[in-house]
Amino acid sequence: MLEIKNLKAEIEGKKILNGINLVVKPGEVHAIMGPNGAGKSTLSAVLAGRDSYEITAGEVSFNGKDLLEMAPEDRAREGVFLAFQYPVEIPGVSTTNFLKTAINEKRKYQGLEPMEATDFLKFMREKIELMEMDKSLTSRSLNEGFSGGEKKRNEVFQMAMLEPTLAIMDETDSGLDIDALRLVSQGVNKLRNAERSFVVITHYQRLLDYIVPDFVHVLYKGRIVKSGDASLAKELEEKGYDWIKAEVEAATV
Amino acid sequence: MSLQEIIKDDFIAYQQQADGNQSFTNIRKQAFHEFERLGFPTTKHEEWKYTSLKSIIEQPFRNSCEINADAVAMAVHSPLMNIDAHHLVFVNGSFIAEASSLKPLAANVIVKNLATARTEHPEQFDAHFGKYAKVEGAAMNALNTALLCDGAFIYVPAKTQIEKPVIIYHITDSTQFQTLSQPRNLIVLEKQASAQVVEVYLSLGANPSFTNVVNEVYADESAQLEHYKIQQQENDAFQNNFTQVFQEANTNINQVTLTLDGNWTRNNLHFYMNGENCNTLLYGLYLTDGHQFVDNHTRVDHAMPNCYSDEKYKGILKDKSTAVFNGKIMVHLDAQKTNAYQRNQNILLSDEATINTKPQLEIFADDVKCTHGATIGQLDKEAMFYLQSRGITEANATKMLLNAFADDIAERIKIPELVAIMEEKIEQKI
Repeated sequence: MLEIKNLKAEIEGKKILNGINLVVKPGEVHAIMGPNGAGKSTLSAVLAGRDSYEITAGEVSFNGKDLLEMAPEDRAREGVFLAFQYPVEIPGVSTTNFLKTAINEKRKYQGLEPMEATDFLKFMREKIELMEMDKSLTSRSLNEGFSGGEKKRNEVFQMAMLEPTLAIMDETDSGLDIDALRLVSQGVNKLRNAERSFVVITHYQRLLDYIVPDFVHVLYKGRIVKSGDASLAKELEEKGYDWIKAEVEAATV
Repeated sequence: MSLQEIIKDDFIAYQQQADGNQSFTNIRKQAFHEFERLGFPTTKHEEWKYTSLKSIIEQPFRNSCEINADAVAMAVHSPLMNIDAHHLVFVNGSFIAEASSLKPLAANVIVKNLATARTEHPEQFDAHFGKYAKVEGAAMNALNTALLCDGAFIYVPAKTQIEKPVIIYHITDSTQFQTLSQPRNLIVLEKQASAQVVEVYLSLGANPSFTNVVNEVYADESAQLEHYKIQQQENDAFQNNFTQVFQEANTNINQVTLTLDGNWTRNNLHFYMNGENCNTLLYGLYLTDGHQFVDNHTRVDHAMPNCYSDEKYKGILKDKSTAVFNGKIMVHLDAQKTNAYQRNQNILLSDEATINTKPQLEIFADDVKCTHGATIGQLDKEAMFYLQSRGITEANATKMLLNAFADDIAERIKIPELVAIMEEKIEQKI
């Protein structure tokens, strides 16, 4: 589904990604961990199409298509979803109107008719129930005045509405207390299925107690330096990142 | 022949056709002499510093009430004409009865053209006409007063409400020649009266046109007015629009100005609070593109204590367009416990657009709350990316963010058709 080959990216001349290789198959959950400044958020931003980064090498194919060539909106319509670390507050844009526009633009891209207003509302009600969201959400402006936890849950709710095939979650656990973390994770787990893949980016292992990954990768200095299964995350939790750093430094000497 | 000389000839011709209302004739005469004394304002005047009339007054405009009226009135269509309302249509300041339509009115309510009201209701007319929009030192008001053809007269007696909106259309027709038109409206609300009034400015014809408007509004104690102005003149249209609102105690005025089109627009919106506990909300939105120029000069005179004013003007500027915002708040010596707020927020969609924004607070009382602020920025890049990352195109994301930006202006408008025109224009311009 997603194939990243030797991806290199920089911002203002500073190299952030130094040759990422990663293959994600349908239904898999990949966790990407790493110390601060390793390039985790850059990877998610580059995949979603944020234009502040310059891609200097490599390729990314998504279901056989060149992802890097696409505008951000086309990536979304192809099925990529980025759950933001810092979801943006947009006063004056109602959540309902925003989601209706997003869904219908995707349908248009797929050659489908726009969803009837009543069908849309029914669909949204179902997802609100599934995600156990407060019904008042839909009449509020997008993320306006939301708490940190509400914003992250709203990201997962949007994911439920837009039904992506690849969800990239950028530090979704940051700034969440344990209750909010549990709620967000429950939402994500409800959306796991055999077709939908996840790339979960996190600094801490605790999120992975709730969202159990199939694979764990350690990102350091812009490269994946170690991969393993869920037990690697536990090992990182116990031992920190220093032993990985030491391994990498030893190998490069 | 200069425009000023043309105007003089016009005035002499007007005097010969003067009707029997002597006080009106005298007002005009005084106004004309004042205009002659002052001449057109130049950029040397503080109030006209950023706004030059030079390119306008050098053009061969003809002041005209003569019209090909019926054809024009029929040719111009606004979606507002379908609203259940009282519609008054004027072309080049002349009343077009055939294109107008009035619904039944409550007893003693007057909704008419000024020329008819002047002869049929001289008492109400003389009591208010020319009393608020002063001509002394105000050349453009003087010009309008000296040469006006006609306009709307709305008079609501005490404790009376006009239930349906009154929509006044002023169409400037420059099909035949470069037209100078001078519309004039007078709105009088007696004690506890209420009304909803919309002024719509439209144009027809490819020649440049110059529309010089004066509006006078009088609100007696506890009167309420919803007042909207929507400026949609197209092509080479120049418009100078002056409004003086005079408020007695306990009045509530909600005013929204939408400047959506027009080559050159100068608005002067003035409020004078002559009693306690007045509430004044003045909101505005200007959308400019191409080489459009829009100048909003507002003035709120807090002359008495315990009044509240809230002002918010927003601008979306594109291409090489220019806008000016100058918001003056005068808190007079006696106006203790004044609350006055003012904001001007702008989004520049191009590097070549210009905004000059100037708050002007003059406070002579010591126990007041006054705030002001101005912002100039671009569309929020994070918000754009957020919307795009959900599959929304750049164009639609821009539209959503601009509509959201305009949302708190739209919220002040109680006629949905007006909001629809505004949103359509935003979509069209971006």
